[in-house]
Amino acid sequence: MAVSTGSVIVPDWHKSPEGKEYLATILRKNKRKFFGLIERPVLPPQMAADTASYKIFVSGKSGVGKTAMVAKLAGLEVPSAHHETTGIQTTTVYWPAKLRDSGRALIFRFHFWDCGEAALKKFDHILPACKEKADGILFLFSFTDRSSFDDLPSQISRVTEGSENFVKIVIGSKFDQFMHTDVTERDLAEFRRAWRLPVLRMKSVNGPRLADGRTLDGRAGLAHVAHVLNGLAEHLWYQDQVMAGIVPAPQPGTEETSLC
Amino acid sequence: MGEEGGSVTLLCLTASSGVPLFCRSLGAPSKHQLPFPVIGSLNGVHMFGANLDVLLTAACTTNTHVVWRVFHNSITLIVLSSEEGASDFALGRLLDNAFSAMVLILGLEELVNIRNIERLKKDLRACYKLIDSFLAPLERSGDLTQCVECVPVPHGAALQECLEAFAGAAESRFGCLVAGGRLALATEPWWQLAPQELLLLSWLVGSLPPHAARDYPIYLPHGSPTVPHRLLTCQLLPGLEACLICGPSPALHTVETELVPRFWKPLLEPLQACVSPQPHSLPHGTTLPPGVLAFLLIHREQRSSQSSVQPPGSGGEGLSPRCRARALRHFYALVAARYFPWEGSPAPPQEPFQAGFPHRARHCYVVSATHKAYAIHAPQHQLFLLLAPHVPTFALRPLAARTLQRLTGDTAL
Repeated sequence: MAVSTGSVIVPDWHKSPEGKEYLATILRKNKRKFFGLIERPVLPPQMAADTASYKIFVSGKSGVGKTAMVAKLAGLEVPSAHHETTGIQTTTVYWPAKLRDSGRALIFRFHFWDCGEAALKKFDHILPACKEKADGILFLFSFTDRSSFDDLPSQISRVTEGSENFVKIVIGSKFDQFMHTDVTERDLAEFRRAWRLPVLRMKSVNGPRLADGRTLDGRAGLAHVAHVLNGLAEHLWYQDQVMAGIVPAPQPGTEETSLC
Repeated sequence: MGEEGGSVTLLCLTASSGVPLFCRSLGAPSKHQLPFPVIGSLNGVHMFGANLDVLLTAACTTNTHVVWRVFHNSITLIVLSSEEGASDFALGRLLDNAFSAMVLILGLEELVNIRNIERLKKDLRACYKLIDSFLAPLERSGDLTQCVECVPVPHGAALQECLEAFAGAAESRFGCLVAGGRLALATEPWWQLAPQELLLLSWLVGSLPPHAARDYPIYLPHGSPTVPHRLLTCQLLPGLEACLICGPSPALHTVETELVPRFWKPLLEPLQACVSPQPHSLPHGTTLPPGVLAFLLIHREQRSSQSSVQPPGSGGEGLSPRCRARALRHFYALVAARYFPWEGSPAPPQEPFQAGFPHRARHCYVVSATHKAYAIHAPQHQLFLLLAPHVPTFALRPLAARTLQRLTGDTAL
């Protein structure tokens, strides 16, 4: 992964006046707008942008916070109590971003596939279904659970077995509980050196609410996760470019991935 | 339920050892966790009876109603309700629904042959959302009537045709559209599922957090309690889901990325009309006679229902929608348990009044200070009405007959 943060996507574009206009298509009165499968964000004609769709499989030990992370990214209520996800659930997240080289705005459509560990073990069709035509895999570990971090290597080899074309990204969840962290900066640095995989961090807790005290503030919620969404966009878009032969494949040993 | 300060608590224990599996509670937050000795005593008194060959089914204190039931000699459910007007009938239905919800999500096998109690406790958490919706049914009534709630659909024929084609392309016979947790349309085989399954499936879809699509293993409590099927749901629009029950194929990815756009995208506008906010469940253009505060119409053969606690024209008269819903539920529970014998319902306790007559009640009414209520048992339908207190009692019967006629469009009544 020869992508350093901000080299492909303009990092703070969503804060710029132009970015805010695009952001308005996924917000309504500061609430996140939700789209059914047969809908998509509507842009005014002068802002026309292509949509780049990606299927992303979310993998990780039971209880690391896969469902909570997806809910946070989607602007939904983060569940307060843990229970194992039954079967597969998929979630669509739209995210406008600007490409650094061409200056072109794009709407990224991330389609997250989340499934419970028990379902994965109990039913044979679940893992193949999640991997089928996936573009990327997120490997989650929890900052508060050392074993979930130690398990990453075996998990990565187990899940990617037989197919190498996925974009692989590691996400450390529950970073909000850094007081109780079981995984140190040094551990992370070593991991990145050994595996050459990007590592992102997530605080999967509900953000501020609007004046009614109930509805989540969509704009604030997006600001919290913008770095993760940009990170995903960056790596997936870059991989596409490599696959299409537009940019050269990364040379082993010359890369340095930065942490966001 | 909030306003009256009543609370409902559901306890689940293993029948053999009395180990608590979960406790769900709504209403008074201070009672959220029942102390262990109380749970032990509640289970103990039931077990004590069982050892003496006495089946303890229900008990009443001045403010609390308790009902016990053991399922398959494996799971004991106990419900405590301090709601005003709680009845054995309604609480019995609650227990039955709660157990069926557990079967739906976990399968009967896991509940009958408990191997690992800690594992089971963890797995049962997946049922909490659905079970909680039975504890606080708010403005709904399907849990009580066991008749799935339906919403009228504009452009029904075009959507029905599309649904059949969509299910066919997914190699499934079972397909439906669920709008806000109520059934909008279904294929014919879907209607052949057991009434309780119809109900549980639409409540399940309504109770899950929103997702673009799901591949959810389910065990049909009556049709297939031990062999799982796949429930596929695709969120066409927020609040509107297309559901399929399938075997091993097709893959969710195919349904979501190929079939949904192919079949449903051209019908965006009629679909949007299905989710437009309408607090009343009336076909377009239907009006009800003045004075009707709420209605519940049951289609007896199809085991489906329509209801509304704010029909057009009822305005802000008297009771709040929440109170109307509660009053209508109590009236239904009273009438269904005592006066209208219902096919397949647990044998209702016979009123001495009824046992003495060779015929059965067809109409029934109640007059109270805040409202009047009237019920009709017709060959094809049952209608339960809540009316404003100013409606003269002698006018209830013709008014109810006229309402039934308008709702069913049946002029022969």
